[in-house]
Amino acid sequence: MARAIITPLTQVLEEGKLTRKDLRALMQRSNGPAFRRLVLWIAVLTLTSTLIALAWDSWLVWPAMFLQGIVVVHHFSLQHECVHYTVFRTRWINDLVGQICGLIIILPHRFFRYEHCDHHTYTQLHGEDPELIEMPKSIWQYLWILTAAPYWKYKVSEVVRHAFGHLNEAERRFIPSVEHKSVFRDARMMLAVYGALLLGMVLSGWWAPVWYWFVPLLLGEPVMRVIRLSEHVGRPTVARMRENTRTNLVSAPWRFLCWNMNYHAEHHYAPSVPFHALPQLHERLKDHIHVEKNGYLGAHWDILRQLLRRKGEEVPGTA
Amino acid sequence: MPGKQWRDAIAVDGVESNWVTRVAVGTRQFAIYDTPSGIHASLAVCNHGGADLCDGYFDGHVIECPLHQGAFDVRDGRPVCPPATRSMRVFETRIKDGMVQILF
Repeated sequence: MARAIITPLTQVLEEGKLTRKDLRALMQRSNGPAFRRLVLWIAVLTLTSTLIALAWDSWLVWPAMFLQGIVVVHHFSLQHECVHYTVFRTRWINDLVGQICGLIIILPHRFFRYEHCDHHTYTQLHGEDPELIEMPKSIWQYLWILTAAPYWKYKVSEVVRHAFGHLNEAERRFIPSVEHKSVFRDARMMLAVYGALLLGMVLSGWWAPVWYWFVPLLLGEPVMRVIRLSEHVGRPTVARMRENTRTNLVSAPWRFLCWNMNYHAEHHYAPSVPFHALPQLHERLKDHIHVEKNGYLGAHWDILRQLLRRKGEEVPGTA
Repeated sequence: MPGKQWRDAIAVDGVESNWVTRVAVGTRQFAIYDTPSGIHASLAVCNHGGADLCDGYFDGHVIECPLHQGAFDVRDGRPVCPPATRSMRVFETRIKDGMVQILF
């Protein structure tokens, strides 16, 4: 008879780090916390948009667009939570909000869901985790990754490839065949929306989306690269959740922006726990996981230290 | 091969209220669901990634896999959202003499 696979969650339950009663309480969902956070989210976006408008005729418009960009790129965090259905108790609202976030950051929601499933199944395993970010080989490569240029090159070509009806070998592995056409349709619809918007801007001469959305998105993406690298890069590429993932302790504004996804190891242990319960889950698991007390900066210092150590080991005569 | 028969699964009192309960009957693992429309049962293992549905989130009539959050309606097994795309196997249940029984 088929038996269930061993997952990080079954392990912590068997080891008594978490009880089923705890898990049930932590998994409870509600629309209230998400709607309250969304109101604040829209207020923050309104504030950063106002800063762009106020700084329009000066060089300060660039830092204002950067600030806006930091918020815009964090729609990834909200979309990620929607992929797990852990933002709203009402399931279709997760789908709707996830689609909107995907449109904002150029990441088709359905495709991301399938890709992210394999990230959870094969976290940090070479050749199997489709979201694995390789440890940079040099400081220069590390800095290149942080510019987000390779990210955009890959993501834009991915959407265009899907719009043309092509999947690569890895994608064919994690997207069921019955969903291939839907993935292609999503990519085409997404490009059609961008095309219609561009046409509208050309015809109307109203270019606000460029300055309030597109340029901030490009300016802000390096911040999201910093955050995404902090989750797994530099941790062992092994199938042990307590080692391969970092939880980063960060300040309240960052926790707000990333929908508590800084509690990343906790999220990997129990992806069904909604964002608002992750701090409680952290209290249960903090002695069982890898915690970076110095937050994103501490994670990057760890990555840089490993890079510098590797460089030292490559000096002739010392290898 | 013997035909289907009703088999005792768990005492009604042992079923977690408004939640999912794991039950072994012989060599088979079942998930027993206490729902607004009564008791339902399915195989315990998710047909997508093989995780134990009994560790998942349960709400109303929908069980969500703890690994990928694919979801199924426990009344008929139909997939409710990706990555679940195939119906899960569900079983008829009844209450008899204080026991939840499954037909298989």
